[in-house]
Amino acid sequence: MSGQGQVSFRNIVKMHGEFAALKGVNFDIKPGEFFALLGPSGSGKSTTLRILAGLDAPTAGRVLIDDKDVTSTDARDRDIAMVFQSYALYPHMTVAENIAFPLEMAKLPKSEIAPAVKDAARKVKIDHLLDRKPGQLSGGQQQRCALARAIVRKARLFLLDEPLSNLDAKLRLETRAELKKLQRSLGVTAVYVTHDQEEAMTLADRMAVFMSGEIQQVGTPAEVFARPNSIDIAGFIGNPPMNLVPARYADGDVIIAGHRLKTTITTAGERDVVVGLRPGALRMSEGGLGARVDLIEDLGDTAVLDLDCAGTMIRMRVADGNIPGEGDTISITARPQDVHLFDPATRMRL
Amino acid sequence: MATTAVTSADIASEAPRSDFGRILAQREHRFAAALLAPAFLALLATTTFPLLFLVYTSAFRMDLAMPFTNGFVGFENYQVLLSDERFWTSLLVSLVYTGSTVALQVIIGLALALLVMDMKRGQGWFRVIAILPVVLSPAVVGMIWRTFMLAPEFGIVDFLAINAGLGSKNWLGDPTLAMVSVIAIHTWQWTPFAFMVLLASLASLPEDIYEAARLDRASAWQRFRRITLPLLRPAIVMVIIMRTMVALTAFAAIFTVTAGGPGTATEILNLYAYRKSFTELSIGYGSALAVALLIVTIIISGILFAMRRAK
Repeated sequence: MSGQGQVSFRNIVKMHGEFAALKGVNFDIKPGEFFALLGPSGSGKSTTLRILAGLDAPTAGRVLIDDKDVTSTDARDRDIAMVFQSYALYPHMTVAENIAFPLEMAKLPKSEIAPAVKDAARKVKIDHLLDRKPGQLSGGQQQRCALARAIVRKARLFLLDEPLSNLDAKLRLETRAELKKLQRSLGVTAVYVTHDQEEAMTLADRMAVFMSGEIQQVGTPAEVFARPNSIDIAGFIGNPPMNLVPARYADGDVIIAGHRLKTTITTAGERDVVVGLRPGALRMSEGGLGARVDLIEDLGDTAVLDLDCAGTMIRMRVADGNIPGEGDTISITARPQDVHLFDPATRMRL
Repeated sequence: MATTAVTSADIASEAPRSDFGRILAQREHRFAAALLAPAFLALLATTTFPLLFLVYTSAFRMDLAMPFTNGFVGFENYQVLLSDERFWTSLLVSLVYTGSTVALQVIIGLALALLVMDMKRGQGWFRVIAILPVVLSPAVVGMIWRTFMLAPEFGIVDFLAINAGLGSKNWLGDPTLAMVSVIAIHTWQWTPFAFMVLLASLASLPEDIYEAARLDRASAWQRFRRITLPLLRPAIVMVIIMRTMVALTAFAAIFTVTAGGPGTATEILNLYAYRKSFTELSIGYGSALAVALLIVTIIISGILFAMRRAK
């Protein structure tokens, strides 16, 4: 049986003794969606995935799949396929036997298993390795074998726990693109755990950003990038991440190192704020904030400048052909809509 | 000398390098041989020589009760052995004893290991208690069982049997019960060994493949059948090999408990060879029996090792 693959988490709490790994997590995943759980290590994203898979039980809260409460349902009965970070291949079985295992457990007739195994192996391009044991495969091939084992039984939910983290950089990029195509062609709901924001940004339809056991923001990658909810997310998303500079807000402007920068906020009064400026949103223009170029990291098509603005380090991304020299003093500014303001006390967006 | 014709260019090229390498290798070999020699000689003197002497003895009639009949007889001892009914009986007893004790050790040891793996607390204590029988001398174990456990009326086993309504049994006097008893004693003493080896092996199995199997919808029994058992196979085969060799040559526990009796009910081949040699003082024939046991052990071990390599 293959349901829709709709997931809801309702106030999920997970305690490890005194330590709260999850402090009341809520989110909904729509059928067919590629949903990423993004966050630094120890933020609770893997715990969330394991609770969804049924491998761990939550301390409190409810998990619903296709509107059915599965909180106390065993992993066996949830109709979920998962790719583990370690791949978790059965070391004594060949690739073909590994892929066939979930079908055998579902008591499919042998005549149906063989073609299904071939088909799944072909989809991930390991159909020439079917007789090998996992120990004879490279990391990338093992990863594909784990993928094939997960897609072969057409489960309603497809969970991936950092599946690319053990691959080298080049292979990771290739596999990332293939993964997205594969998920689209299968039309299955996928939940993807990663600490790599680039993976989440490129793969996910929507993502939930975890910070110390809580979800701080749920949205499309573009939304999260454009309007980060908190200082923590702002400092986590983007490469290099957003510049976060303590400043003073006064009647619609922020004052950084004596220089006034226009914002879209119009409330009157004065207060302390943290200003967020994306490296890519900064412009060089006359009459802006003066800054000395400390260091240039040339990436080929763009360069990242480390700027010293009266003692504050600000990073700026500039297009090729427009790069000042190290030691030069430049003047920078940003459009009002590119100036993000955060409350230094609550750390939330203003 | 021919070397006088060698030019300096030749010396600089291949000749010195290969010579140097050979000399080094030779030196290394000599050093290794020197290190090995004492242990090797000690082994030769204590194992290989007695073994060869045993084979040599088996070709003689050497009867301490009737020394005047002694002399070289060639294969006569072996011809007698092949038509000796008591030899075949004791071989069968040996095989039954070995087969049942090894099977019981593996099954009970594996069951205990699986049980202990799931214990949240007290694993360490269990291991310590479990290892105790192994450190006892088999002769001591035999004495403990003969007196404390199996003595009629007073032994714990008999006491339990009486209370269970089975009545007092002659555990070591009845041929079948005596066999059951010696098998139970050997199993009791050596199951902890299988348990420890299998527990260590179980503990080294990765957790995540069990989680993968759960998500693949394998039941607990299927996980055991399809994952645990195949992954434990090398350890199980190793336990079987080691325990089989020991069980085939068991001696002390049976000797102290039944001494092979009643009659020849628990007389394993080893015990028969002992009785022939040192009770009946027929050393030549006893040697032939011991050689036969050696051959049986080698054949069975060979089969087991072949099984181990099979996959």
